[in-house]
Amino acid sequence: MTAAIHLNNVSKTYGNFTAVDHLSFTVRQGDIYGFLGPNGSGKSTTLRMIMSLIQPSAGEIFLFGHSLKENRKAIMQKIGCIIEKPDFYTYLSATENLQLFARASELSFRKADIDRLLEQVGLQGRGNDTVKTFSHGMKQRLGLAQALIHDPELIILDEPNTGLDPQGIIDLRNLILNLNKQHGKTILFSSHILSEVQTLCTSMIVIHHGKTIVQGKVDELLSTETVTVRLELAQPENGIAFIQQSAWHAYLQEQGSECRFAMPKTEISLLVRALSEAGIAINRIDYKNQLEEYFLKITQH
Amino acid sequence: MKSILFCCLALLSVSAFATDDPKVLIRELNKKFAVVQDYTAKVQMDFAIPGVKMNHMSGQVYFRKPDRFRMKAKGIFFLPKQNPLQQIGSMLLDTSAYTSIISGYETIAGHHCAIVNIIPTKDNAELILGKCWIDVANPLIWKTQITTRNNGTIETQNQYGNDAKYTLPEKMEIRLELKKIKVSRMIAGDINKKSKPKTAGEEPLQTGKISLQFSDYRINSHFPESDLQASQE
Amino acid sequence: MSLFVATLQNEFVKTIRRPRSYIGFGIITFICLMLQAAFYQDGKEILSTVTAQIDSIFSVQGNILNGNLICFIVLQTLIVQMPLLVAFVTGDTLSGETASGTIRFLLTRPASRIQILLAKWLAGLFYTLMLLLVLGILALFVSRWIFGSGDLMSLNSEGLTIIRADDINWRWMGAFGIAFLSLSVVATYATLLSCLMDNSITPIVTVMATIIVFTIIGLFDIPSFDVLKPYLFTTHMIAWRSLFEDPVPYSDILFSCGVLVFHLLAFLGLAIYFFNRKDISN
Repeated sequence: MTAAIHLNNVSKTYGNFTAVDHLSFTVRQGDIYGFLGPNGSGKSTTLRMIMSLIQPSAGEIFLFGHSLKENRKAIMQKIGCIIEKPDFYTYLSATENLQLFARASELSFRKADIDRLLEQVGLQGRGNDTVKTFSHGMKQRLGLAQALIHDPELIILDEPNTGLDPQGIIDLRNLILNLNKQHGKTILFSSHILSEVQTLCTSMIVIHHGKTIVQGKVDELLSTETVTVRLELAQPENGIAFIQQSAWHAYLQEQGSECRFAMPKTEISLLVRALSEAGIAINRIDYKNQLEEYFLKITQH
Repeated sequence: MKSILFCCLALLSVSAFATDDPKVLIRELNKKFAVVQDYTAKVQMDFAIPGVKMNHMSGQVYFRKPDRFRMKAKGIFFLPKQNPLQQIGSMLLDTSAYTSIISGYETIAGHHCAIVNIIPTKDNAELILGKCWIDVANPLIWKTQITTRNNGTIETQNQYGNDAKYTLPEKMEIRLELKKIKVSRMIAGDINKKSKPKTAGEEPLQTGKISLQFSDYRINSHFPESDLQASQE
Repeated sequence: MSLFVATLQNEFVKTIRRPRSYIGFGIITFICLMLQAAFYQDGKEILSTVTAQIDSIFSVQGNILNGNLICFIVLQTLIVQMPLLVAFVTGDTLSGETASGTIRFLLTRPASRIQILLAKWLAGLFYTLMLLLVLGILALFVSRWIFGSGDLMSLNSEGLTIIRADDINWRWMGAFGIAFLSLSVVATYATLLSCLMDNSITPIVTVMATIIVFTIIGLFDIPSFDVLKPYLFTTHMIAWRSLFEDPVPYSDILFSCGVLVFHLLAFLGLAIYFFNRKDISN
């Protein structure tokens, strides 16, 4: 199957600053692909390069097997997107805005089609209202409508949950799943929240400082056997002395009032039992898979 | 303009007469002028005024005694503001208001003319000096030179055709000395024109000319009064 | 419907529906009516300050204060305002969309950047044409209705020229044509600046600053400035006035039109060059 998106060693530099550094990844058709990274990691720059808003300094971008540089027009007919936040001509109505986008996509459209689309994104009855009267959440919904108006094969959503209320987030999630499952749309979905990606995506990539940290199937990445265990001991000095003299020392990564271990998930209970038998009280224990741990670390800094 | 023609008529209404006495010449002119009660004529105007570009235009002149005059034309045209010929004309009628002497002779267009100086008797008169070149053989004014207090010097030069018998000129050229008409670039705003280096000292005087060519004279036709009263066009 | 025509149609819709487009029409109407009222009330006095030298020598016959003169004065007066009004809309054409974020939607559609830029540029020219059309109706036809028609006394620094009323209509057509070309240069310059900047105000202010500085250089009778003047597009924006000279300096007018067309093409070429390479990062 042809890849919907393929980035080959793509970089973007601004003077001495490298926003995206030799990034390569592939989004297969039919995937919901998570594009994860903390704020400023280069997600938006990458998405803008895919949407030809920014020209790469190096590397090549292929969409549907064709070079973006050489086949931009045909490629753009197949893509719908919301980049960053949806902005509209606020002096026009929702319907008029969609008419503009439809016309720009060379579509012949009917008002009934637009009304149906507005209903699909939860804006039924608001088509004649000027966009300046819309809340951010409503604009986000209208953004989705414009991204879908030309029935694209690939939908690129840059942090689409931003500004949505809880019900809006649920609606959006259902819409994305529906578009993917029922209509076979490929979706590239960027976020800085791991749980969002975890919930929706089939594959994912994590980037930081413009570089790939990890990529693969979400299930595989999030169900690895090795986890990070945090232990808060009642008597840290005795506990650390015990650990350093035992075989658990091999898993110890950090020591202090809270100790951190990188160890197989199956051995957590053995560690707890060994400490108890040594008379060392445990105040609190917690574990995360390593991706979650890493993501937590980079987003906290 | 009306004064120009009024005075011209006054000066031109002179029958063929030869004398070296200026008073006699003027008396003959005044007497001839009495023949014409009114007239109308077509006029062609050409302008050569420094700093003014104005195309040839045509119109109609109307005159009725004693001094009612109108030049009717479609559009804008310039005529000397104060016409010293009118003063000369009045004075020529009122012989007590001036003294006249012949200051010399000159041949103009083949006509032997006496140069008659008109000098006002009142010290505060607008006229400073009037000079008329009058053909001594057939009294017609071929040239005038009028100097007034407020308007400098204006010259007229006349030519006569078929209507000379009525002392009405076929052509009249009015000449006057003036500084070239200029408008500040700040007002005109024509920034696309090149600057010209400013000349030192005062702007020299140049000669402006207005040429009038009369035709189709209708003498004593008793044209309606409205022709003299119509508003400007 | 071809993509370019669709893009052009979109730009026309935006131009027509955008409230700021109407500010220019409002200002032109206000200025025209204000000048007409002022000249209706005190026209002769206002003119006497300009024609003082003529009035001291000549009695000016005929209706000087006519619709043609008022139109000439209005066009002359609006040399600064019209570019501002044009730049007010065309300077915002791309930078406004960049600032508001709508540029992202525009550039993620199939139309190429050149098509989008050309559509915006043509919509800007259409707006300029509409402004001039309104100006022409108000300044020429309404003035003729109020003040009557007649010969035009056109002023220039070398004196004045009287243009006969029956020889003037073709001159007005030419004048408005040259004015359109001049304002198109301003519109294109504003579009270029609009490509380079990400906010609406800076291109408009920059256009105005350029025009004011260049006009001041043109107004001063300093021979050393004459070296600069032929290269400034503002010098040639006033070329419409030359149609009201006698004889008409056709070679000068053609040269000015050539310079304006060169500026227009240069600005458009630069706008295409920069817009094609512009990264939409905000």
